[in-house]
Amino acid sequence: MSHPKPEKKSSEPKSFGWMAEYEDENKLLDAARKVRDSGYTRIDAFTPFPVHGIDEALGIKPTVLPWFTFCAGATGTLTALTMQWWMNAYDYPYIISGKPFASWPAFIPVTFELTVLFSAFMTLFAMLGLNGLPKLSNALFNNPRFDRATDDRFFLWVDSRDKYFNSDKVRNLLADTGAIEVDEVKEDDSSDIVPRKLVLAILTAIGATLIPGVIVLNMRNSKSSSPRWHVFFDMDYQPSKRPQSKTTLFVDGRSQRQPVQGTIARGDLDLADPYELGYDPDQLADSRSASTRLVSLNAQDGQETGSEQAGDAASEDGAMAAASEAELPWVQEFPEGVVSEEMFQLGKLKFEQNCSVCHGYSGYGDGLVSQRALNLAQGYWLQPTSLHDDRILEQPVGRIYYTIKNGKGKMGGYAASLNAEERWAVVLYVRALQRSQNASQADVPEGVDLELGAAE
Amino acid sequence: MASNIPNDNVTLPANWRGLAPILVAAGCVCVLLSLGLCYFASGTGEEAVGIRVFSLSYLSSFMFCLSFCLGSLFFVMVQHLVRASWSASIRRIAELLAFTIPWWSLLFLPVLALVIFTNEPWIYPWNVGAGQGLPAIVESKLQFLNPLWFTIRILVYFGVWIFAARWYFSMSRKQDESGDSEITLKLQKWAGPLIMLFALALNFGAFDIMMSTDPAWFSTIYGVYLFAGSMLSFFAVMIILCYLLQRNGRLEKMVNTEHFHDMSKFQFGFIVFWGYIAFSQFLLYWYGNIPEETLWYKHRMEHGWQYIGLLLIACHFALPFLGTMSRYVRRRKALMASWAGFILFVHWIDLMFLILPQEGIPVSFMLIAGNLVCLIGMICLFAALFTLRVGDTSLVAVKDPWLPEALAYQVGP
Repeated sequence: MSHPKPEKKSSEPKSFGWMAEYEDENKLLDAARKVRDSGYTRIDAFTPFPVHGIDEALGIKPTVLPWFTFCAGATGTLTALTMQWWMNAYDYPYIISGKPFASWPAFIPVTFELTVLFSAFMTLFAMLGLNGLPKLSNALFNNPRFDRATDDRFFLWVDSRDKYFNSDKVRNLLADTGAIEVDEVKEDDSSDIVPRKLVLAILTAIGATLIPGVIVLNMRNSKSSSPRWHVFFDMDYQPSKRPQSKTTLFVDGRSQRQPVQGTIARGDLDLADPYELGYDPDQLADSRSASTRLVSLNAQDGQETGSEQAGDAASEDGAMAAASEAELPWVQEFPEGVVSEEMFQLGKLKFEQNCSVCHGYSGYGDGLVSQRALNLAQGYWLQPTSLHDDRILEQPVGRIYYTIKNGKGKMGGYAASLNAEERWAVVLYVRALQRSQNASQADVPEGVDLELGAAE
Repeated sequence: MASNIPNDNVTLPANWRGLAPILVAAGCVCVLLSLGLCYFASGTGEEAVGIRVFSLSYLSSFMFCLSFCLGSLFFVMVQHLVRASWSASIRRIAELLAFTIPWWSLLFLPVLALVIFTNEPWIYPWNVGAGQGLPAIVESKLQFLNPLWFTIRILVYFGVWIFAARWYFSMSRKQDESGDSEITLKLQKWAGPLIMLFALALNFGAFDIMMSTDPAWFSTIYGVYLFAGSMLSFFAVMIILCYLLQRNGRLEKMVNTEHFHDMSKFQFGFIVFWGYIAFSQFLLYWYGNIPEETLWYKHRMEHGWQYIGLLLIACHFALPFLGTMSRYVRRRKALMASWAGFILFVHWIDLMFLILPQEGIPVSFMLIAGNLVCLIGMICLFAALFTLRVGDTSLVAVKDPWLPEALAYQVGP
């Protein structure tokens, strides 16, 4: 099918076959059938309106385009479902309207859209590709008679690149089909220099597209005393409230709402668990029920009743702190599953990340923050507690856990940074530190040859 | 142009008409048999649900035939409205299908009698009336859902349908003799207003006849849902009818592959439209999750109905969607006729799913069997009615001014 590329300076324009002109579509259809039956395949017809049966007359095979569309549509469906499942159920699970993470009904609209989008784009681009479009020029346009293809004339073209093309035979064949004119299709040999005006217009257009960017750049790098221009005013000033702010919308003036009575926030179900609290709430409730001086706790569901703080589960710890902490029934032994090598490693990691800045890597209260504060010698710095004080050594594990969770004195609570498991891991690590710094000869395991250092 | 019209056999096969008495007998036997079968359908509670199951089965089978008749009426009107020429050779069959509505609506009389003369809640729970322990939400709707007002509305709906069906059929028949193209212009002119009336009647008819079987529930898209099913089943019926007629040597030149292809395209379109409407209704209620809106779906998600629902997704949408997507399939008449049969089968399941799953009615073998036998009986009755209604009438509007264009219809190889 390949043909020699014409020489640039060739005096004779290259021929692209023959074009026949007809006065009505029936003659065109007859001619097309005749040419088709003569074995030519590279033929095409040009008509002012769609002509029924032209595909069959030209011998055009059914297109493969639907397969492109179908495959793209199926890809769109799978892409959308996978994407949404991965986003909503796997990578960033987030509860929306109380629905499951993988809410297939909610995925369907997006799936529908992506299916349509993928198949539409694929159909367009595959159509362009299969048709060899865009085509900026066609030799047919050289003939001024061809202009009437969009008006009232019908054209049939036999391409010279056809396998069986023979110039004379084709011309005679077309002349026999009732054509009113048979012309040779000649290569466009007009100058291929782009007109100056077109170049100018294109450059102007490119220049114009840069203007918005230049304006934006200018505005980003200059200062102005006039107020900002709000493109989307209600996006800049949203009616939503910030945390801890006031509002006139509710009677109590708070913008944040209390949890609905009788409900427990997600993750707070373990409020009555010693593992979570560091002390045994059941035991506490038993001892409290005897006395009438303090709030009665319904420890079973972690909710206070009979007090003005009813329903505010978060204030429970506050109430506890107000009560004498020494009285709390602390957890005395490590809960099940805490004492293990993995928990020790986790505790070490978390201790060094969160605690060592003040308490120091060995727990003597000589962390970098403390050293710096002492160097500044501002007088009011209270050195962090040494974990090897007798007071701390005597504390039960639940007490240390409670301090990590809720803070003590200047130390803030770490409930937000460490979950229950991590807190117990840190307690375990603190115990190990205490043991390591206050060890005696008896702690050395049998068979370990210990060489005492100079410090001894 | 009249000379272009081929010499085709355009009458109903005589042996079809001969079947009418047998069909009527078979239909009556099936409906009675269905009563017996439904009697043994089990309920979830102590109460016997047999009579309710039968009444609802009767309603759903009645609606099965009425739905595609309404679809055909809409088809006739919309072809005139858009001045479609391609359909001129098949439009008469649609006119004839719609023309059965005047007689077919008589079969709604038992339901109407149940509402007017009794207080039984077999089909419509609101029928028991005020102060009978209905939920407050239903009690407040009794101003709308009461026997008198219900009857008036039903008469209006059927009145609109019957008028439109009779008018389009008789005018088209008149043209068979005179060939007057003014008639076509007149039919075109009134298609718009009549379609609006038709849409209102269909929409509110769906609310009254079908949706009020669960009076607490409401869905504004319900009428469109029924419309989607009506059009879908109408195209399925058309494909099957044209196929059967051609098998019997009728309409061989009048209805060509292009017409089949186009009816199949429409059927495909309405498969998607049905899926779209059904899913839209579900998605909004599922997302909103408001008890009074979700109760209807709750009845359809328990006691075995959930499997019917899943079956609908697979067989009313996914399977025919993929199956009739290809041009190759759509241009094979026998293949499309089998797909059309499948569509009618799932349309039956769809109507069952819309009407049968009421409080206390689980899926049971007897329910399905009773409903299916009832449907077969009603289809027999409908077929008999159709053949009698057609009689000697030509199956093609032979002097329709669009007919030559419809016969020259061709789109591709």
